[in-house]
Amino acid sequence: MNVPVTFVERAHRGIGNRSTAAGEVGARRMMSHRIAASADYPAMEEMRDQARRIRLYALGHLDELLARFSDEVEGAGGHVHFAADADEAIAYIRKVAEETNVRRIVKSKSMVTEEIHLNAALEAHDLEVVETDLGEFIIQLSGDTPSHIIAPVMHKTRQDVGELFSEKLGIEYTDDPTELNNVARHHLREIFLSADMGISGCNVAIAESGSIVLVTNEGNGRLTTSAPRIHVAVMGMERIVPTLSDAAVILEVLARSATGQRLSVYTNIVTGARRPGDPDGPEEFHVVILDNGRSRVLAGDAAEVLACIRCGACLNVCPVYREAGGHAYGFTYSGPIGAVITPSLMGLAEWHDLPYASSLCGACLDACPVRIDLPGLLLKLRRDAVSEGLGPDGLEGALKWFTRLATNPGMWRGATRAGGWSAKLIARQGWIKSLPGRGSAWTDYRDLPAPAAKPFHARWKERQRES
Amino acid sequence: MNREDFLERVRSAIKVSELPPIPEAPPGGLVPDLPRAGVTERFLEQVEAVDGHTHLVGSDDEAVHLIGVLLEQYGATDYLAWAPDHLPVAGLAERLRATPLDAVVPGDAEGRLEHQTGYTDLLVGITGASAGLAESGSIVLEAGPGRPRMASLIPLVHIALLRERDITQSLSHWIADHAEAAADTSNLFIITGPSRTADIEQTLNLGVHGPKHLHVVVLGG
Ligand code: SF4
Repeated sequence: MNVPVTFVERAHRGIGNRSTAAGEVGARRMMSHRIAASADYPAMEEMRDQARRIRLYALGHLDELLARFSDEVEGAGGHVHFAADADEAIAYIRKVAEETNVRRIVKSKSMVTEEIHLNAALEAHDLEVVETDLGEFIIQLSGDTPSHIIAPVMHKTRQDVGELFSEKLGIEYTDDPTELNNVARHHLREIFLSADMGISGCNVAIAESGSIVLVTNEGNGRLTTSAPRIHVAVMGMERIVPTLSDAAVILEVLARSATGQRLSVYTNIVTGARRPGDPDGPEEFHVVILDNGRSRVLAGDAAEVLACIRCGACLNVCPVYREAGGHAYGFTYSGPIGAVITPSLMGLAEWHDLPYASSLCGACLDACPVRIDLPGLLLKLRRDAVSEGLGPDGLEGALKWFTRLATNPGMWRGATRAGGWSAKLIARQGWIKSLPGRGSAWTDYRDLPAPAAKPFHARWKERQRES
Repeated sequence: MNREDFLERVRSAIKVSELPPIPEAPPGGLVPDLPRAGVTERFLEQVEAVDGHTHLVGSDDEAVHLIGVLLEQYGATDYLAWAPDHLPVAGLAERLRATPLDAVVPGDAEGRLEHQTGYTDLLVGITGASAGLAESGSIVLEAGPGRPRMASLIPLVHIALLRERDITQSLSHWIADHAEAAADTSNLFIITGPSRTADIEQTLNLGVHGPKHLHVVVLGG
């Protein structure tokens, strides 16, 4: 089987299949939760504006905030590692694991560790890595990848999960979500309590206290950061805010935008390791601060995307995401945020088709709690791609022809008239359903309105004559 | 990469960045305009809305009685409780000790819990909350000496005790008055209802990792 390499090929697989249909129902449900949660909170719009200011302030002062954060972590007895890329992050975590005799690792859901393919790298060194978020656990058992940044198994049905559990965990088949849930709780509980290391992501880092904040609904984030003797948090370097009060603003808009909750069930704020006299908590606390392309994004014209708080709201409202499914985006991040962040982080050379995975309808901008101009950033990336000669096939040539026609009135008149005549031949009830040659790139996916029989400039002339 | 090189790379990126206009002063928190009056009612209502159970009691005696009833109702044979001086109910520890239940209290010489695998089947945890947040129906807890994190995490049932006067409007209100709260403890956590997941077909399930039942006992007055 060929591995699909472009968005369109991957989307073809997704469109209309059972997984994408399950995903679409989920995305719509999450969208209505978000809308309801915002509507019943009068301060929401004000909070969003403040959250945006906080995120932009943090990006503009990122160097100072990271320096302060790292001083504070060390002051609280923790360790900080600055990782330029995935390899450096992985090497550090392996070193810590080795020095502290770690065998079993539990993880709570984290996009950034998926971004650096951490699990595979650790497993290659004989470390056992267990995902503990129920959705991620299902993904790991089935050898799949997540399709949504908040609800990773949105594309799986209960029957899929039932079959998976009976095959991999040796239980009797059931597709009752409550029973499947109990099976997972029991299975994972023992793993938690015998794990040596917990690896978490970081939703927000607080500079003034050197704290990391993790939100989960299941409680696996708290178990990951409390039960094992070593805790390693991996954070994208942009995740930071100055103070606890700033973090509160982010948390309020994050929960409402992600799932429509007023706050997530567990907001877990961790500052250093266990302190003297604490009855539990890890003995060591490490933070890995990851660049991995982010400083390049910050230096570029799509820098605003780093203000993202990973709520997933833009996915749920996106008509392209809902039709094509999360896997069509080919990387950890999907939907509008994925279409911007993946090419920004990983380079346009390989990912120049993603900025086109959008109709630019603007729904993502409306939904985004920190008002990131996603459509504007997508346009910038399209422009960058074209100017690097990476545009969609033939676009450059077509534009050259267009410019030539459009700047020569005689040729333009001739061409529009010819277009009108030939369109008449193939249009049905005002729509062209299929075009030959290069034109099929459009009509394969949507119909083209037939051009007016008489071009505008001809009608304009007639009107002038009449009046 | 060493810290200085890393930060230098960030610094030079910011210099050429095309970010939208950056606020000059730190924006800081935002305390929404929510009325103080009626916070208790709103808190109780909102805890129920997120699938928690609420109990408003008038006296310590009533609280002790209620906890006894809950322990019996769940068929608990043991429980993990925070140390008596961190629970807002006088005499609770003594009264519970007089029952035939085994308390599991923080263990070894350093005060560390004994090996955690012993707690897999623990049924009930009892803690004291620092605050209640009316707007979201949340409780704020601070781990520390005598206050194991596990008591609110491992058991199937979590009973949190809270003084009515510690209920405030929202998370932002509480933080505005407790700016140092994150630095003051190794683990500050805010709980909003029982553990939940909707990962399988977005069907709600309680108690996937954390407690399935959350009881918030509010001591009036
Ligand atoms: S871009 Fe905005 S809406 Fe999309 S995930 Fe990020 S914060 Fe949420």
